[in-house]
Amino acid sequence: MLSLHNPFPTTPKPSINLNNSTPPFSTTFKPHFPNTLKPPKPHKPHFTTKTQSLLQYNRKPQLAGETPRVVVITSGKGGVGKTTTTANVGLSLARLGFSVVAVDADVGLRNLDLLLGLENRVNYTLVEVLNGDCRLDQALVRDKRWSNFELLCISKPRSKLPIGFGGKALVWLVDALKSRQEGSPDFIIIDCPAGIDAGFITAITPANEAVLVTTPDITSLRDADRVTGLLECDGIRDIKMIVNRVRTDMIKGEDMMSVLDVQEMLGLSLLGVIPEDSEVIRSTNRGYPLVLNKPPTLAGLAFEQAAWRLVEQDSMKAVMMEEEPKKRGFFSFFGG
Amino acid sequence: MAPIWTLQLHPISFQPSIWVSKHQTHLNFMKLRPEFRFISSSSSSKQLNRKFVLGANSGSPSDPDEPAVKTQTITVAVKDQLSKWHGTINSFPPLVFVMNRYGGRNLAIGLCIAIALLVIAVRVYAARKLRYRTPGSVADLVRRGQLRSDRRGISRPLMYEDPFNNPMVKVGKSNSTVEMCGKVYRLAPVTLTEEEQAIHQKRRSRAYQWKRPTVFLKEGESVPADVDPDTIRWIPANHPFATTASDIDEDLAQNNVYQKHGVPFRIKAEHEAMQRKLEALQSEQKLNNLMIDPRNAKDFERPFKEHPRSREQVEQSSFNNQTSDSMPPTSDPAPISVESNSSSEETQKL
Ligand SMILES: Nc1ncnc2c1ncn2[C@@H]1O[C@H](COP(=O)(O)OP(=O)(O)OP(=O)(O)O)[C@@H](O)[C@H]1O
Ligand SMILES: [Mg+2]
Repeated sequence: MLSLHNPFPTTPKPSINLNNSTPPFSTTFKPHFPNTLKPPKPHKPHFTTKTQSLLQYNRKPQLAGETPRVVVITSGKGGVGKTTTTANVGLSLARLGFSVVAVDADVGLRNLDLLLGLENRVNYTLVEVLNGDCRLDQALVRDKRWSNFELLCISKPRSKLPIGFGGKALVWLVDALKSRQEGSPDFIIIDCPAGIDAGFITAITPANEAVLVTTPDITSLRDADRVTGLLECDGIRDIKMIVNRVRTDMIKGEDMMSVLDVQEMLGLSLLGVIPEDSEVIRSTNRGYPLVLNKPPTLAGLAFEQAAWRLVEQDSMKAVMMEEEPKKRGFFSFFGG
Repeated sequence: MAPIWTLQLHPISFQPSIWVSKHQTHLNFMKLRPEFRFISSSSSSKQLNRKFVLGANSGSPSDPDEPAVKTQTITVAVKDQLSKWHGTINSFPPLVFVMNRYGGRNLAIGLCIAIALLVIAVRVYAARKLRYRTPGSVADLVRRGQLRSDRRGISRPLMYEDPFNNPMVKVGKSNSTVEMCGKVYRLAPVTLTEEEQAIHQKRRSRAYQWKRPTVFLKEGESVPADVDPDTIRWIPANHPFATTASDIDEDLAQNNVYQKHGVPFRIKAEHEAMQRKLEALQSEQKLNNLMIDPRNAKDFERPFKEHPRSREQVEQSSFNNQTSDSMPPTSDPAPISVESNSSSEETQKL
C-alpha cells in the first residue's frame, strides 16, 4: 500500500536535491531518533544543525501542475468511500500547507460536513450565494483545526438546485476562488455524488483531474470503468484511482482481488491503497478525520501518502501485499 | 567475618563446647550483629553447644554455603539426640527469627519499590488526565471554536513531515518489504505500463460514447432548435431534488458568485424595497415629525413581515465568515423574499 517512495530517489527531486547538495547532511538525512515521533527542534542555536533540521522538517511535496488544481473524487458506485477520501485527503493537503477548498457536490445526500465535524457551521451554501442571500466568502466554512481548509456545500438538503445550473455554478465558483483576495486555493476538491446523474455532471464540470475511488469487488469495478469512460469522454485525462477497503488477509486467502488485479482490469495508475480500518467508522462518528489521529492508523497513513502523491502527481510504484511474519527483536516489545 | 567462619566449622570439628565458649565472649564483645546477641542471650539452657551451633549457623545468613551447613547441623541434632529434642526446638526461634528478619527486609524493600512505582504511575496518569481535562483552559476555547488552534500554536504541527519515511513507516533495505504500524508487508511492484494504459483508454473510448449534457429538459418539453440532442439530459418530472425551471437570472447569479464585498444582492434589494415601503407609508400617514432614520425604521419592520434581524445578521456574518457556532439553526437568516418567490424552496430550513 505504499509506493516505493524512496527517500533517496535516483530521479532527482528538488526537495531531495537540497539534501544532497549539502554532503555533510545527506548522510544524516534519516532521522537519528527512530523511536520517537519528535522531529529535532527547528530552533537550534547552532547554525549547521539548524539548516539540517529545517531541511528535514520542511520536507514538503512539490506541487505539480497549475493551481488551483480542481480534482473531482468520484466512483460511480455509492458507498465506496468518496466522502471519506475527500475529507482525509483534503485535510492531509491542508496539513501539508496547501490551501484547500472542499466542495460537497452531493446535492441530495450531503455528508462531507458530518465527516469533518462542521455540520453545525453550514449556514449558507452555494445556492444561497447564487440567489444573492450571501456572498461566497460567507458560505465558505473554515475549519478551525486547519484554517487553510474550507468547506463549501452546494445546497441544503431538500432545497432544489435548478439542474443544469450546478455545473455552470461550479465553474463560476472556481473562477471566483481563483481571483479572490487572499489568493487562489491550491486545491479545489469536489466530492461527487454516486451515480452518473445530474449531480455527477455538476461535479465533473469544473474538474481538470479525477480520483476514482473503488473497492476491490466486481460491482464497484464495473461502475468505475464506466465512470472512467465518461470522464475520458469529457476530456478529463488525468485519472488516478484509490482502491479502498483492501484487506490484505483476504487477498492472501484469494478471497479478494488484489490491488494489482484491480489495476489490470481498469488500467489506471494508483494514487493510493487504503486498507479496511475500523477507525474509519470511529472517526466518522467523531467528526474527526482519520488523518488527524495520533498515533496515526494504517488507513490514515495511506490517505496521507495518497495526498502526497496527489500533490506531486505521482503514482504508486509498488503495492503492499500480504503481511510477513515479523522477526521479533528484543526491543520490539517496546514498540521499536 | 573470621569469627563466623570458625563458628561454622564447629560441627565438623566436634569440639563445639570449647570453641564456642572461647568465641562466645568474643562475639558478645563484638555486638555487631544483632543475631549474635540474641543467640547468646538464649544460651542459658543446658544444651548450649548444640544450640549454639545451630544459632551461629543461622546467624550468618550472608554466607553462601549456609543452607548446606544448616541442614547438616539439623540432621545431626535430630539423629544424635532425640532426647534433646526440646533443645532443638528451643533453638529454632532464633533461626526463624533471623530468617524472617532477613527475608522480611527484602520483601519490605521490594514492596516499597513497587508502591513507589505505582504511585509514580498513578501520578503521571492523573497529571496527564488533568492536563486534558483542566476545565476552562485555552484549549477549551479552541474546542469551542473561539480560537484558532494553529494561530495559537496549540495544535502541534505534523510530527513527521514525510509519510514515506517516519517512525511508523519504514521501507525495508531491499525495497521488498515495508513496515507500517509495526507490521511488515511484502511489496509487489506495479506492472502497469503506459501501453497497457493506452489500450484500456482505447477500449473505453469504444465502449462508452458520451457527451456531457449541458441542457436539461423535463420529460415532455420540446427541444430547442440550436441544441445538440446528445447533450440533452432528460429529467423526470418528479425528480426529488432537481428542478429544470431556471427562473434564476444566470447573469445575476454569476455576479452573485463573483461578488467580493458589500451587501449581498438580495439582501440589498429587500432592504431597498423595505425602505421604499416605509417612505410610502410615512408620506401617507403624514408622520412628518418622525425622522426617517434606520433606528426608527425598525419599528415599522414588523408590520411588513420583514425578518427583523436579517440585515444585521448578514453584516455581522460578513465579519465572522460563518464562524458563529452559537448561531442556532432556528435563526437561519435566509430572509423571506419580497421581490421574487423563486427561492422559496431554497430558503427552506434544514
Ligand atoms: N477504508 C475503510 N475502512 C472501513 N470502512 C470504510 C472505509 N472507507 C469507507 N468506509 C465506510 O464506508 C461507508 C461509506 O463511506 P463514504 O460515505 O465515504 O462513501 P461514499 O462513496 O461517499 O458514499 P456515497 O456514495 O453515499 O456518497 C462509511 O460508513 C465509511 O465508514
Ligand atoms: Mg458521499
